[in-house]
Amino acid sequence: MQMNEIAAAAGRLQQASGLAAILDAACGAFEDMLPVLWDRIDPGEPLFIAMLTAATCAADGRDAVLFAPSLPPHRRPAAPQAGSGQGSVDVVAGAVAGLCMLLAARLAEAAPSAADHGDRAACHAAARYASQIHEALAGASPL
Amino acid sequence: MSRATFGDFLQAAHDGLGPPSGAGSYAPRGSVEEVSRSLLRVVTVMGRYVQDMTAGLDGIGRRARPPLHPWARACLQVREALSNAAWFLTDGGPNRRWPPSPAASPLARRLDAVTVSLTTGRDLLQTHFAPGAGSSWEHRSEWAVVVTSPPVTRALLAEIALLSRRIAHQGAGLALSPPAGVPGSAPERRRLNAACQWLWVLDTSVRAAQQQEPVAAADRDLMAAIPVNDLPPRRVPGGGEPVAVLCEGAITSAERVRHLAWVAAQDAPWSPGMSTGSLRQVARTSTVTSHNCHILLGTLAACTARAGQAQISEGLSAAADAAGRARDRWLRAACAIGQITTETEGHLSPAAIEAGDLALWTGRLAYADPQWTLVSGPAHPGRPPESLVSRPEDVPMAVAAVHQACETLAQLPQTEWEQISAAAQVGRILVPTSTLSSDYDVPRPFARAPHDRVEQLLAEYRGVAQASRQAATAVGEVAVAIQASSRVLVTARQAARASQPTRASKTADHADALAALRDPGAARESAAVREPDDTPGPIEHTLRGLGVSRPDLLTRGAELDRAGQRFLIDATVGINRQHKRPSAVMLSKTTATAALVNNALASGDSRAAAMLRGPQRPQQAESEAEREP
Repeated sequence: MQMNEIAAAAGRLQQASGLAAILDAACGAFEDMLPVLWDRIDPGEPLFIAMLTAATCAADGRDAVLFAPSLPPHRRPAAPQAGSGQGSVDVVAGAVAGLCMLLAARLAEAAPSAADHGDRAACHAAARYASQIHEALAGASPL
Repeated sequence: MSRATFGDFLQAAHDGLGPPSGAGSYAPRGSVEEVSRSLLRVVTVMGRYVQDMTAGLDGIGRRARPPLHPWARACLQVREALSNAAWFLTDGGPNRRWPPSPAASPLARRLDAVTVSLTTGRDLLQTHFAPGAGSSWEHRSEWAVVVTSPPVTRALLAEIALLSRRIAHQGAGLALSPPAGVPGSAPERRRLNAACQWLWVLDTSVRAAQQQEPVAAADRDLMAAIPVNDLPPRRVPGGGEPVAVLCEGAITSAERVRHLAWVAAQDAPWSPGMSTGSLRQVARTSTVTSHNCHILLGTLAACTARAGQAQISEGLSAAADAAGRARDRWLRAACAIGQITTETEGHLSPAAIEAGDLALWTGRLAYADPQWTLVSGPAHPGRPPESLVSRPEDVPMAVAAVHQACETLAQLPQTEWEQISAAAQVGRILVPTSTLSSDYDVPRPFARAPHDRVEQLLAEYRGVAQASRQAATAVGEVAVAIQASSRVLVTARQAARASQPTRASKTADHADALAALRDPGAARESAAVREPDDTPGPIEHTLRGLGVSRPDLLTRGAELDRAGQRFLIDATVGINRQHKRPSAVMLSKTTATAALVNNALASGDSRAAAMLRGPQRPQQAESEAEREP
């Protein structure tokens, strides 16, 4: 189920058109990856610190977009906070890293088109957090 | 480079006085007038220390004053003794100030050195305070509560008494020395001797308190370890540092985090430093640090087991387990903090930045990779045990580093909790509206966090605090057992708890410590180190002066001196209370009388003070302490 959320978030992000839609899809993507990451953080796993770093950056990325002036005020409900996910930690890490690569690219594309300084700053900051997640997880990702 | 500590200046004061009496004492030389002036300076600075401890009590009426604990009574008697000593040293003389040139007399120079050391030491303690409203003092560091704690106040009084005793011995020796070699009029000599007699009374007062509640060796260590309130500079590991440097770096970073977090907790709730960015950074890096401590403690347990230190190894294993539980609680807090936000995201407080450094320093200790970072990648082989501890002597150093980190992790949740709680009260804790139930209709992507969400978050931090405290306590027990340098943190925590009411108010009179002295609940142990009463009495002194060296004769002379002491004290205690006491100057009128009285006062028998002070009814000592001579 959780992997499906990641795939769906990637789909929404790819299909988003216009600044407001991209911001909305980006915010949703960060929100959707949060429970997926927290569910897989295990001190016994080699990816423990990388997953922890990624989860923290995901929350920071969501917050960066959350205060963007062009983010639609009414948004779809966030994904459930926890649940039994499918796929190994490595597979989840790879999927989230892939989503973040897409996130960083879409936000970087959207930034120059933003007329409002707040929107531009939000796009840049969120893109940076997405890159950090990718950096933390890419060591184990299939990318 | 480590920070200056109070112990540095205390040691300098003792060193300034020269070797202890009986171990190569100085021959009395110099001018009585010059020594009196220098002694007045010492007495004045000692008086300032005691004034710091007793200031608040002056506002309490004598009749309203509750029965005092022995140390509180000693505090007032010490103030009285110093006040009287100062009076004798100024009596009839001009207002004495520092002369334009250094003193010529050896004893005066030694006393001046003591004055400088004690003054600098007090300045060091004062760096932890700033003037507050009225006569109160605001805390400027987490050490302030330790400085004013009953254990440190007791230890400080004991040190003042020890110095006074040594000074009295040297000063009286000069006052009663043959006039040919020592310039000084008879009245000047009498006044100097009378001042020294009050210093003996001071020592006796503290001894009486010590007998009822001895100063613990750990409390003296704590007092000596109080650092100047000057944060060491930030350092980050460059890579490839030896273990000793990594331990030192981890300790410095842990101290910095504690101080910066303490400062942040004093900030207003709308401070930009209180942001989810900072809270997340602290939670994430503290999860990593506690994980690193878990690994390090496990490695240390293996090292000590191999060295045959089974008990220490068991303690370290238990501490490793506790650190693991603390990590799990930090992880939960990190998850919880991911579900809220503030409008100032992105801003990192100095404490949060330093918490990241602490994770880095402990990680470099825990892992084999000399370039390890928090984003190094998935696999991190641990540092081999022989690399962490190549010799058994290295264990305390590594334990100290882990203990410092764990103590920091135990204090952080409290300051974080205070910040979150304060921010919630002013509506700064927000949540994405997408995470709220459909009952909420908020036309914004974010909204003020509902009360139950804030409560859940605060409950997570209470859980972290409890688990982290258990880990710090477990490591602290090992640190005490192996005499690691960090053991002072255990005493500091006990001292801070003894001053809990003071900490709650965030401001303190030093006199709060005096009030707390009425509560004898602090840890105690009988480990007081006193100089032996090795000052020769008048008969033994005379025998030695005559060149007598036969041990049996010197022993007999010492016995006669002790008998004389007892006789004088018993006789003084027994006389009519209405009889007007002679002044201390009268008791120093002749050299013979002065020597006998000095010998009785130096005995440490608390009854001997009655020769100067008169027999006391209960509570009279405290009342008299307020009398200006």
